[in-house]
Amino acid sequence: MKSYAYFPGCSLEKMAHSYHISALETSRALGVELRELEDWNCCGATAYFHVDELLAYTLCARNLAMAEQQKLPMVAPCSGCYKNMYFTREHLRHDADLAEHINAALAEDNLSFSGESKVHHLIEVFVHDVGLAQVKASVKNPLKGLRVAPYYGCQILRPRKQAKENVEQPTFFEDLVAACGAEPVPYPLRLTCCGGALIITNREAALSMVRNLLESAIQARAAVIVTACPLCQVNLECYQKQVNKEFGTDYKMPVMYFTQLMGLALGIPPKRLGIGSELVAVMPAIREAQEAAPALAAK
Amino acid sequence: MSEAKQLLIIDDDPDFVAGIKSILVKAKYAVDVVHNPKDGLQALKTKNYDLLLLDVMMGRGAEGIMIARKLGKDPKLRKLPVLIITGIREQMAFLFPGQAVHPSFVEVDELVEKPVDPKLLLDKVASLLKTAETRKAKSK
Amino acid sequence: MSTATAVAEPAAPSAAPPENPMSFVEEINHLLYASKGNPINTCIQCGTCSATCPVASGGFMDNSPRRIIALIRAGFKEQVLKANTFWYCASCYQCTVRCPRNIDIAELMYGLKRYTVWKTEHQEGLIGPVFSETFVKMILRTGRSYEPVLAPTYMFTYGLPEMIQEATMGTALMLKGRLPLLPARIKRLDNFKRMIKHIIPLGDKE
Repeated sequence: MKSYAYFPGCSLEKMAHSYHISALETSRALGVELRELEDWNCCGATAYFHVDELLAYTLCARNLAMAEQQKLPMVAPCSGCYKNMYFTREHLRHDADLAEHINAALAEDNLSFSGESKVHHLIEVFVHDVGLAQVKASVKNPLKGLRVAPYYGCQILRPRKQAKENVEQPTFFEDLVAACGAEPVPYPLRLTCCGGALIITNREAALSMVRNLLESAIQARAAVIVTACPLCQVNLECYQKQVNKEFGTDYKMPVMYFTQLMGLALGIPPKRLGIGSELVAVMPAIREAQEAAPALAAK
Repeated sequence: MSEAKQLLIIDDDPDFVAGIKSILVKAKYAVDVVHNPKDGLQALKTKNYDLLLLDVMMGRGAEGIMIARKLGKDPKLRKLPVLIITGIREQMAFLFPGQAVHPSFVEVDELVEKPVDPKLLLDKVASLLKTAETRKAKSK
Repeated sequence: MSTATAVAEPAAPSAAPPENPMSFVEEINHLLYASKGNPINTCIQCGTCSATCPVASGGFMDNSPRRIIALIRAGFKEQVLKANTFWYCASCYQCTVRCPRNIDIAELMYGLKRYTVWKTEHQEGLIGPVFSETFVKMILRTGRSYEPVLAPTYMFTYGLPEMIQEATMGTALMLKGRLPLLPARIKRLDNFKRMIKHIIPLGDKE
């Protein structure tokens, strides 16, 4: 069994609780152990970097140091947390003066950063470490006929981590959706930003960005958008009402986490995946696709 | 008269640096200037200075603190007097109104706030240099 | 104001040039000294950043990223610091990965945010700096984020109707069990606070 130090991040405690429980359920079903860091702290989101990057690195380094104590690689389900942890580790590994400074601070909590623990996004764990073949082999309830818009968002891919990384034409999300038996649709805006924290700091811009993403998914005739980040999920789902009001649209697009989609395919009951806590119901779209699927197969 | 005292300024604010540099040069100090922490550490490694004038908020954040801590750990540089010149109190007031700034970063230091009164600057520089001289004499 | 006139304006003579003037572009390069990308002087003004930016191309920025770089290089400090561009950057890094000169433009935006926060020189009425401040204070108090604390930020900028709408959504989420009633706290909070003091050196309360 593969084990990881699991950093849920603040959103998953409540706002994205369904992501948290579906992450745990799907991991368990695929033989992945997620051991939650015992006393993790906020990664600093984007706000810290506006004031003091050294402070932002310190917050991330505390979490990384705790993962090192467990001698496990870290996994983060939130793209924002993932990006912050990943690059903090990189900066500290390549800047000895910086690492020394931050370690002096970490000593107050009896911790020390060495860079041992690698950082992964949860989706990478399923795609690379578990592998798509095993995901496919574990599917009990293939989601045939379900048209899914896989939404990458930004920070899984960007900024670039390796020179050769394919940040413009990735396919792993589509592949994962296909492994679940669902149908990934070509989704032109799959890499375009949802607005992130602009939903708070510039509502007008963020709503317009969300509208573009919803419209693009509808044009692609997707039944559901699937995300790998709590901020994307909240922006795309919870603000649909405001988008409709602002732009006179009538969007009712379900937006779910990829772990929920996987969980359904693995045969885990919807309730245990936190399905039912969304503002735009997911299950009608799933059922509709499943009911149409036998007919599709018969043709 | 003895040789001019060598001062180093590490500060990213060009206008402020130009101001204090001209005050110090007029007072017959020899002044070097660097504008970021990396160049600052390099300069401290390559030349002997009698006094460091150090800004706090530079580059990625409170990097002046990082430099001060590094000096404190270096057996040779630990004795270097440091005059911290900063607008950090503004920064702190923004984050934590009513809280005091840390009293001391290194063994020999003082803190003045921007903008600095020229007379106060020269007084502090002179007194820090004198304290350092006295210490040196004592240790001999 | 047309965008063309502002660029054509001659540089307003600021204070008398200092003895050893460091241009604004150098100052910004020093600010970004630890950043991996090329210095911004290598910009060829191709406009890929602006075209690729979902906020700029939506018309929400008063100055596009390309223009900000041009203004920095031409020394228009005041105009740059008072622009909303960097506060409206969503940190999506699309400009950074696409820049043909490998300039880390998103990092430049972060740098400008820091710079204006330190010197409190940012544009009036922006919600970004207020949000950052609230957020940072919150984490330093508890170690974790707590959404309802952020609510007052809305009121200042968006006013009451927007606040009610936010509350309506808040209630909907609360009923779905998605909003916390109490802020979370980390356990080793005392250690955590002492750790922070090493980085931002606060003394004890007087």
